[in-house]
Amino acid sequence: MSVAPQSATYTAAVTWRQYLVWRKLIWSSLATNIANPILFLFAFGFGLGRFIDTIEGMTYLAFVVPGMIAYSAMFSASFETTIGSFSRYYMHRTWDATLATPVTLSELLFGEVVWAAVKSLLSALSVLVVGWIWGGIPSLGGALLALPVVFVASIGFACYGLVATAMARGYEFFSYFFTFWVTPMFVFSGVFFSIDRFPPGVQVIAWLLPMTHLIAVIRPLSAGLPLDLSWTLLHLGYPLALTVVAFAVAYHRIRRRMFD
Amino acid sequence: MNNSPIIAARALIKRYGKLEAVRGIDFTVERARCIGLLGPNGAGKTTTMRMVSALSTVTAGELMVFGVPVQKMNRQTKAKIGLVPQENSLDPDITVRENLEVYGRYYGLSRATIAERVPRLLEFMQLESKTSARVMQLSGGMKRRLVIARALIGDPELIILDEPTTGLDPQARVLIWKQLMELKKQGKTLLLTTHYMDEAQRLCDRIIVIDHGGILDEGTPEQLIDRHVKGHVFEVQKPLPNDLADGRWDREDIGDAMLYYVQSPPDILSELPDDAVYLHRPANLEDVFLRLTGRKLRET
Repeated sequence: MSVAPQSATYTAAVTWRQYLVWRKLIWSSLATNIANPILFLFAFGFGLGRFIDTIEGMTYLAFVVPGMIAYSAMFSASFETTIGSFSRYYMHRTWDATLATPVTLSELLFGEVVWAAVKSLLSALSVLVVGWIWGGIPSLGGALLALPVVFVASIGFACYGLVATAMARGYEFFSYFFTFWVTPMFVFSGVFFSIDRFPPGVQVIAWLLPMTHLIAVIRPLSAGLPLDLSWTLLHLGYPLALTVVAFAVAYHRIRRRMFD
Repeated sequence: MNNSPIIAARALIKRYGKLEAVRGIDFTVERARCIGLLGPNGAGKTTTMRMVSALSTVTAGELMVFGVPVQKMNRQTKAKIGLVPQENSLDPDITVRENLEVYGRYYGLSRATIAERVPRLLEFMQLESKTSARVMQLSGGMKRRLVIARALIGDPELIILDEPTTGLDPQARVLIWKQLMELKKQGKTLLLTTHYMDEAQRLCDRIIVIDHGGILDEGTPEQLIDRHVKGHVFEVQKPLPNDLADGRWDREDIGDAMLYYVQSPPDILSELPDDAVYLHRPANLEDVFLRLTGRKLRET
């Protein structure tokens, strides 16, 4: 067997372990995955939507549903590779146990990241289904086409979380991560309104956040509007580059912490 | 090839920043032997074991495992090692069987191999009745037995055990001892740390005593006893009788009493007055350990 497929086998073993644990907690997980979007969509789509007729050429509900898809995916991945990964690394020491086997650190970390992205995809799918039933998805085909984009972006969200885990000395540390990374994306990435409304300086900050780029791609898709090719490539390329850097940083920090 | 040692360390050093945890130790572990690493907390035992398992980088010196430097250890070699870490590190949310299955996958085993080995290992560690229990529901002794079973899933040639029986009841310890002896009989190589001297004496072919990152002495339990505490210990309460107060004895002051190490009891019995308060017992590994590493408490 050559190296790459062998590595994939060991990565899959790590992801399979996450799936086994998740299966035990499936009902609470599904409940939050479905209840959360219903709550949000009710509050924003129904409450706020009554004051807004159309925005960027679509109903407010059609505008906010893709934003919520992105947010729920981002939150899910961020949570998994911070609180979740840190527990496995620091509290239960299962990372230590895993690395005592032929599994390597990069396979372990990538297995964590892949699973976080799978969970994100499930969250996104839940919002999509609820939003579609609610009438907030003009183009179901476009929205389904957006899911692979959400998955790849979630690999990135998972990697950013892993950087926080690599630096954390305790659970308190993640309050910084959530306050200065997750919440800004919730507020500035254009979930609830178009970021053109911000002053130019704030718009620059908004475009630095990877979730802004995700929303910029999946919103036109789910609305059935055309995509600009070169902008789309930028929206995909920038987060991808950030993802690679984040994984490398997390890998090296964790390697130093665990092995040196 | 078969005669080359499984582990060979030369001038092995491990530093954490400025702290030197292992200070240039030399040792070898031969095939199908059980070697004990004894030492107080903070002596460098766990660090040494982690280096052998490639879980900790080597700062300086040479460490060969299965004839290859640990820095170059590949998957095939890694798969020949089973580690029982000091902390249990089990997956609390999944069942006993699933813990073994997951680990089997980490060792790259096929489903068929896992399906065949899991029940065998559960039986080996007497956990059959707990197959479907969640790890959270297990007692301390069961968790420890499961960690040992887990370390065996890849059918390793070298088994590294960091305090396998700490905190267990006598029944669990006896079972673990019996199964470790069985593994040795099957030709497995064992590297073990323990704070229980009876355990070391019973299981180990050779013992390495380490402290402050260095080796103090090594040998069979009998050799160590003979070398450091002779064969017999007389614990004589103070004030000491005149004949015992001079310097011709091999002795050690422990505060309220003095320990005398003698080859044969009559040597000292003839010097003890009738009213002396003393305790006579055969010398054991614990005496060696305390003599070599000192009696002061370790706070690390």
